[in-house]
Amino acid sequence: MTPTVLAASLPAVPPLLVAGIGEMVISRDAKTTLVAYGLGSCVALAAWDPHTAVGGLAHFMLPTGPSGGPPVKFIDGGLQAFLDGFARHGGRPRHAQLKGAGGAAMLAIVSGGLEIGRRNAEAVAAGLESLGLKLHAHDFGGTNGRTVQLEVATGRLLVKSVSNVTTL
Amino acid sequence: MASLTAAEETVLSHTFGDGLTRAADALAEMTGHQIIVAAPSVRLCSASDVIAMAGGPEAIVVGIYLGIGGSLKGHALLMLPPVGAHHLARILIDGVAEPADDDDLVDPLVFDPLATSALQEVGNVMISAFLNELGMHLAEPVMPSVPQAIVEMAGAILDAVLVDLSMEGDRLLAARAAFIDGDRAIEGTLLVLPRPESLGTLLEVVGVDRL
Repeated sequence: MTPTVLAASLPAVPPLLVAGIGEMVISRDAKTTLVAYGLGSCVALAAWDPHTAVGGLAHFMLPTGPSGGPPVKFIDGGLQAFLDGFARHGGRPRHAQLKGAGGAAMLAIVSGGLEIGRRNAEAVAAGLESLGLKLHAHDFGGTNGRTVQLEVATGRLLVKSVSNVTTL
Repeated sequence: MASLTAAEETVLSHTFGDGLTRAADALAEMTGHQIIVAAPSVRLCSASDVIAMAGGPEAIVVGIYLGIGGSLKGHALLMLPPVGAHHLARILIDGVAEPADDDDLVDPLVFDPLATSALQEVGNVMISAFLNELGMHLAEPVMPSVPQAIVEMAGAILDAVLVDLSMEGDRLLAARAAFIDGDRAIEGTLLVLPRPESLGTLLEVVGVDRL
């Protein structure tokens, strides 16, 4: 009996780089996909330079806060840190496609959980504007969680919710 | 909330363990099923660790959330796999001991208002039982909020809770246990996340003096 070679019949799985809460991932490997899973009130910012094909994804948690801790936990300090990291890998923020997603209102938490999502989305837009940059596309707000995937090869940003998939 | 001593961790684990057992007893009483508490743990961890405890950020769960106020502040979340949540709702509403045939479910992510209400009540009863156990040590009452039920990615549900807890630091105290019955008709995870300022209160009531 001829042994079956399972590995040969399996499709190649593209490498995934995951941005956990307060983390960023940046790559210039065209085979890589960058992912931020399960965004609720958190906001993801994707940057992709079409000329150098460098992609970056940041998973922000809150609009403002003290420095230290996870690199992009807070948008006020983390936005610049993300763009600097993107530039170090060869991405050019001024030529990059910038896309945002997240900022949903998930739970009515006493301390203002419903407001955090909206404030996060506003903070990303305002932070970029203060640097002379703007979002090319976004999917903010609503009441659904999202997972976002940035394809480094194409700059396509998939936004998946429990019931829907859209492309930015 | 930088660290816990070994003694503090032991005492907190014991107290939370009692609370998780009370929650399991309450579920057993509601359903008539024998419920086992599996893998209880109490530890200081990161936001990412808490999401991993919930089954990973993309796992779709039925989450029943209660805020905790009063002398102890924080958040409690019961998470159930959607098909298991339907089984549990059937047991409570129809008294059916055997799980329904999964083929009956047109869309496991859709719950009618009666099933939603039954599941909210499960969260309410289990979390209240947990808090009653802790509350026995406290002079002031602990007050859970009205339960909210949501079908979502676990990471997205936890986001709002973690945001509230993470404004002051990067380490969280998390108590977690899984609940299962013999034929696995019922399984779920209960997470209790006290606010950082409640740690001192907790340690005080369970008899540990912090230096």
